[in-house]
Amino acid sequence: MALGVTEKRLDNLHWPLVLCTVIICSLGLWNLASATKNAPMFMALAQTRWMIFIGLPAVIVLLFIDYRWLQTVAWPGYFAALGLLAGVAFFGKRVLGARRWLQVGSMQIQPSEFVKLAVIVILARWFTRDETGVRKGYYGLFDLVQPFVLILIPCALVMKQPDLGTALVTFAIAMTMVMFAKVKWRDLFIMLATGAGASVFAWSRFLKEYQKQRLLTFLNPEAYAKGAGYHAIQSMVAVGSGQWSGKGWGEGTQNQLAFLPEQHTDFIFSVWAEEHGFLGAVVLIGLYAFLVLAALDVAANARDKFGSFLSIGVAALFFWHAFINMGMVTGILPVVGVPLPLFSYGGSSVVADMLGIGILLNVSMRRFMF
Amino acid sequence: MLVRRDADDMREIRPRTGLGALVVVCAMLVLVIRLYQLQILRGEVYVVQSIANFRKTLFVPADRGLIKDQKGRMLVENRPSFDVFLTPAFCKGKERDEVLEKLAAYLRLGPDDVERIKTDYQKSWLSKDKLERFKPFLVMLDIPRDQVDVLEAHKTEMSCVNLIPTPHRSYHAPTSLGHVLGYMSEVTPDELEDSPEYRRGQTIGRRGLERRWERELRGADGKQNIAVDAKGRELDKDTQEALIPEAERLVPATPGNNLVLSVDEKLQRLADVAFVGRAGAVVIMEAKTGFILAMVSRPSFDSNKMSGRISRAELKAISDDPLKPMLNRVMNENYHPGSTFKVITSLAGLENDVITPTSSVFCGGSYTMGNHRWRCDKAQGHGSLDLKHALSHSCDVYYYSVGDRTGLDALSDMARKFGYGQPTGLDLGREIPGYLPDTKSITPESGSARAHAINAAIGQGEINVTPLQQAVAYAAIANGGDILRPQIVRRIESPDGKLLREFQPEVLRKVGLKDGSLEVIRDALLAVVNEPGGTAYRSRLPDVELAGKTGTAQVMKLGQKQKLDPATQAYFSRDHAWFAAFAPASDPEVVVVVLNEHGGWGAEAAAPAASKLMAAYFRMKREESAPAAAPLVAVPAPAPSVAASSVVQ
Repeated sequence: MALGVTEKRLDNLHWPLVLCTVIICSLGLWNLASATKNAPMFMALAQTRWMIFIGLPAVIVLLFIDYRWLQTVAWPGYFAALGLLAGVAFFGKRVLGARRWLQVGSMQIQPSEFVKLAVIVILARWFTRDETGVRKGYYGLFDLVQPFVLILIPCALVMKQPDLGTALVTFAIAMTMVMFAKVKWRDLFIMLATGAGASVFAWSRFLKEYQKQRLLTFLNPEAYAKGAGYHAIQSMVAVGSGQWSGKGWGEGTQNQLAFLPEQHTDFIFSVWAEEHGFLGAVVLIGLYAFLVLAALDVAANARDKFGSFLSIGVAALFFWHAFINMGMVTGILPVVGVPLPLFSYGGSSVVADMLGIGILLNVSMRRFMF
Repeated sequence: MLVRRDADDMREIRPRTGLGALVVVCAMLVLVIRLYQLQILRGEVYVVQSIANFRKTLFVPADRGLIKDQKGRMLVENRPSFDVFLTPAFCKGKERDEVLEKLAAYLRLGPDDVERIKTDYQKSWLSKDKLERFKPFLVMLDIPRDQVDVLEAHKTEMSCVNLIPTPHRSYHAPTSLGHVLGYMSEVTPDELEDSPEYRRGQTIGRRGLERRWERELRGADGKQNIAVDAKGRELDKDTQEALIPEAERLVPATPGNNLVLSVDEKLQRLADVAFVGRAGAVVIMEAKTGFILAMVSRPSFDSNKMSGRISRAELKAISDDPLKPMLNRVMNENYHPGSTFKVITSLAGLENDVITPTSSVFCGGSYTMGNHRWRCDKAQGHGSLDLKHALSHSCDVYYYSVGDRTGLDALSDMARKFGYGQPTGLDLGREIPGYLPDTKSITPESGSARAHAINAAIGQGEINVTPLQQAVAYAAIANGGDILRPQIVRRIESPDGKLLREFQPEVLRKVGLKDGSLEVIRDALLAVVNEPGGTAYRSRLPDVELAGKTGTAQVMKLGQKQKLDPATQAYFSRDHAWFAAFAPASDPEVVVVVLNEHGGWGAEAAAPAASKLMAAYFRMKREESAPAAAPLVAVPAPAPSVAASSVVQ
């Protein structure tokens, strides 16, 4: 690929998206430094290294490759992801009763983070290649059996680790993509209603109280380790006590004195809200909203269906992670372990998120090309 | 084709992205509204909760007031020491067992203690009140220095275990003062409910002065607010200062007030040494003021032991001891006064004109009423006796006759005038009133009123008194008829020595008798000690005008049902020995009452001790007024004086 072409395409780079990402990453590192101030190892530095030495090169390499090439690697990627999940199930490192990590040399990677991307790519490919929608003009319920199988296999494997949060988010991302395909509103409604109805029915009819408790504990061990509700309560105390402008960087007592559990991973937003208050929290929510809206904008303006679906998938990835995470720490959603993109500590999640941004930039950069 | 088809699809997708954008904005708005609710509307509440999370209030125990004797000698003070506490919330499950194992090893706990700790743990863990498990409970009181070091060294392994520096009571006073001083022990849950100023694991005064003056001695605990992290660990100094406003960091404790007693520690020790019986009581009291100079109740308990760690076995041994060490014999046990009561019978006779000082009664060795015969101590009889000789020789027949003629009620009335049959009012906790029978209270089966009167005349029958009542009554005889309230606290002082309250001698009433009656009695009591034939002649002192009355009180024969070995049986069947004395007879200053439980003859088992103490009292007084003079050598040494000096050693 000629250099000149690249330069020309760099003009088409979605600079507002790049800027927004850089701001979120920087705030994230700054916040992480506060959250892990008392930790023995400087985690913010590790996070910076992942961003700069793994995430950034990966994004740059990705920009040079036309995103359409992803169609050709969709299946191998998908099976590689399933393979990793199977590997986790057998060789995974057990932490707090769950196998989620694979030890690779000195690194631990969390395959479920990359599975989300693989699912996004394979679904985008499926909706691009499948002729049914074009022939009929829409997708009927039974036409969607194949994508559902593609979604449910990885979700089931993640659920088995167990990692309820990631499984739910992966499913939510996939369902969001389905909604953007030519599925009739009526069918969408039926799907949602049956899904919700079936789970509510099963929950209330077949499970006894202690089974529910046991299931919740099984699916989400950390949340129940110190007694149900402890995490949620301490998180709300942290967020609430931030008031208008927060206690200041490194001054959050809930965060610094470890009353806030998992403050560097799932509850990183509580740290931010405690130390920077309502104003800081609203700014961060605005940044995530901007990111998701920009991704939807890229989807709407993509050159082709594949690029559009990829972008929708990435938009859904950021939206669901951000919404579920912030909803969870503010107590409007149950506590399920979901990281806040580019804010929570964790190499796999940060690299996967950056790859998602890379896909968006790739799609938007090539929107005028034929 | 491909392009066109894609363009169709895009037409399909675009409106949905618009809708998606709307959903995204709405969802984010929901979050903003929620944040507004948490941070702005309820912010204050959460701020309070976040402060409550890290803020821990430690109590700074107040130094308990000191107790000194009348000369300022320290009887009770505080020494620094450490108590071990455990907070159940900070160690649970496996950690609990590990911690218990370690504690058992480091503190050398017995299975008893481990069991008790487990029970306490379980109790607070299972409590309905969830905060209960955050309250530390007492594991071990007052641990030795080496164990403090061991626990300090292993602090990090046991974050739920706290070493709390707590001043503990240190009793320097002789153990014979145990009943006077009392001791300290942990507050009970009931007491905690009644008095919120106490905390679990704190101690409270039990018995004696520690209990009576708890309010004065206790002071007020201070408070220290510290910042802790989620595991309850104290934070470093800088963080502390940043998180806790200076004004709230420390509220200092207010130490308790000091008590200055009328007790003279030296005399107390002498009393303890001079009194040789296994059980009994000694009271030394100022005759004109009612202030108590020494007070022995034997056997006693060791206040240090009782306040510290005492094993169940030791407690059981105390409660099983037939001599009842926890009983304050000075004011809480009934005794027949025996012949010491003859002063009252004499006064009743004089007051009711049954006798005059010079009228005499013939003693032939016994007294007969109906078909009952009462014997005199001297079987062959005393012959004809006047009051002085009847009292100094302790003739029973004389008093049978007087009692028979005055009647039971006259004896009881006179006794009541002198303070018998009612508590003396010594402000030291529970006190029994003793017992005085009268014609209304006696039952016909127990004998006729005349028989009762004859028995009562020599201090037997149903009459019961306490040694303290004896001291009050003999003080009244000595001081001319003032019934004094016995007191043991002279002053209450602030911790820096300022006088807060001074106790004045308190005359409860005057006995109000005929002129001259008391002089006659005092004269006779002087003869008891100082005239040949007087029952306590052997206890006379060369340089002190000692007056007193011996008593030998018969005890009820023990039933055979009680399974006691013959030696114990014999002991409990022996008479009680009394001696009630005052000196100098011409202007009495001090009263000494000695009761030797099952000691036998008053003259042998009680009078010598009283005599020694009198000698010691006046010798000490001389030494104080002439401190330069050589103390012992100056005194010529006939027998009693030797006895007195042996007491000093």
